[in-house]
Amino acid sequence: MEKRKKIICPKCGSEMNHHADKVVHSTTAEEAKRVNLAFGGLLEELHACPACGAVASRPAD
Amino acid sequence: MINTRPLSIPVILGTTRKGRLSVHAARFMVDQISRREGVMTELIDISDLPIPLDDAGEGIKDAAFSEKMVRADALVLVTPEYNHSFPGLMKHVLDSCLKEYIHKAAGIVGVSAGPFGGIRAIQDFLPVIRELGLVNIFWDVNFGNIAQVFDGSGRLLDQAFVARADKFINELVWMARTLRYGRDNIALDS
Repeated sequence: MEKRKKIICPKCGSEMNHHADKVVHSTTAEEAKRVNLAFGGLLEELHACPACGAVASRPAD
Repeated sequence: MINTRPLSIPVILGTTRKGRLSVHAARFMVDQISRREGVMTELIDISDLPIPLDDAGEGIKDAAFSEKMVRADALVLVTPEYNHSFPGLMKHVLDSCLKEYIHKAAGIVGVSAGPFGGIRAIQDFLPVIRELGLVNIFWDVNFGNIAQVFDGSGRLLDQAFVARADKFINELVWMARTLRYGRDNIALDS
């Protein structure tokens, strides 16, 4: 699978590190529409900034 | 890359109940952590936070609390035991964030009026902490018979808690440093 582009830290501009994937259990009707049935929730990537400690997330592929 | 920012380890006081004695335990932990070089701490009292009850989860996220959780490398969660569990309002507050917690360390300080030091609240808390993406350490601090541990002004009466807190903080700092290195340097797909 092709690697996705690194997230750029919105606070300091450094490349962030993708250190986790997590299932997030939906709490709203809007989120429920995006549930990944294989995992039973929304699959999110978690990223951390090595320079400033900021965190970010985005839906996983 | 090894990050040289000071570690941030806030102490969350998880009760709003009037007359709470947990505040003495929380202030004691802040004092003990603040003596560590390279570690910043502060008391986050949930009774100072806006806690709406007409929504839940990330729908009630408070920007200031969220920012503190982003900065945090570890959390100290001070919980009294209410009916064999931790306070519902504490969970309501913690549920307002998620990505802020992932791969960060947590340690629990249990408080009770009776002899067991909040052990049932702590056991109940562990699966919640796991689902929030926090990594719980194997040390707890158990303040049983809290009214005999501190006097009315919050002065510590039982010095054994200094050594207990020291062991707890040692482990929490180790875990916080290790997890920060992992967050910063070890990619999931590496």
